[in-house]
Amino acid sequence: MSSSHEAAPSKAFLAEEVRRYHHFIVLALWLAVVTGAEIVLIYLPLPTAVIFTILTLMSAGKFFAVIMWFMHLIYDKRLLFWCFLAGLVLAFATFAAMLALFSADRIDTRWFS
Amino acid sequence: MSDTAAAHEAPTSTGIDHKKLIMWLFLASDCMFFGTLISTHLLYRKLFPAGFTDAEGHQRFIQDLFSIELTSFSTFILLMSSFLMALAVSAMHKGQVKSFRRNVLGVIVFGLIFLGCQVFEFTHFYHKGLTIQNSVLGSTFYVLTGTHGTHVAIGVLWLILLYFYSFTGKLGGHMGALDVEVAGLYWHFVDIVWIIIFTAVYLVEYLGPYGIWGSGLPAVVK
Repeated sequence: MSSSHEAAPSKAFLAEEVRRYHHFIVLALWLAVVTGAEIVLIYLPLPTAVIFTILTLMSAGKFFAVIMWFMHLIYDKRLLFWCFLAGLVLAFATFAAMLALFSADRIDTRWFS
Repeated sequence: MSDTAAAHEAPTSTGIDHKKLIMWLFLASDCMFFGTLISTHLLYRKLFPAGFTDAEGHQRFIQDLFSIELTSFSTFILLMSSFLMALAVSAMHKGQVKSFRRNVLGVIVFGLIFLGCQVFEFTHFYHKGLTIQNSVLGSTFYVLTGTHGTHVAIGVLWLILLYFYSFTGKLGGHMGALDVEVAGLYWHFVDIVWIIIFTAVYLVEYLGPYGIWGSGLPAVVK
């Protein structure tokens, strides 16, 4: 841990922190509204494919909003974004590969029992 | 990158503090870990859409067990805990330790409420007949949500330690703020994983009369 006799934060730094503080409040409200909208959406009489697509987009929006603002990726070095994106891409590629391997129409599930 | 970030550039070859870089790399690897667990759950839901058979031998659907009210409540709790965590990190950057303590205490309480909801949910499911052994659904569901719950529990423990450590007076300056920021990154990650789980595991089960996987059910089960 650090000593407590480091230089006090500069005025510019504090102003930046205040600006971020307002971003966080707006984002928290936005996240609450989108989550509420997701819950309402599943009860709407719309085609399943439409609801599923909107839910996926909303989740992706919330996901990236949190990593960009709450996790400071938008303020930090780009390298961190690429590091995290690499993990995310590999995770999605794993899902895509498993989906292709276990193409459900060709699997006889009696094999598992 | 902003001017502020430049002003705090770390004296490393990347310009990023090692602790922060390591945490981001860990989170990237954890992303793959949860990616695999979520993929496994979704694929097995597609392969076995019929749910599970309870102790009396009745065919049950997961939709009969889920409580959208409880899950929505715990989702809101986790999202708001993430907000408080962002405020706690901001407070530490400004050197406001008291504000940090208030916010981090809120995060701890919200984290404990989330865990309480999960324990209640698991107990309810168990008594309704869904166990980790009696179906593929039970196995993938409990492993996925249980792993996430373990992450939340570790996060709560970490924040409790930071909270008490702040009273020693050693949690100050840039390095102290960095320690809190790294813990914050972990907490936000737990939140973003839940954002995906909430949609991929819970909400999709409400699409259509038998969930999004219902089209794979044989007519006799419907």
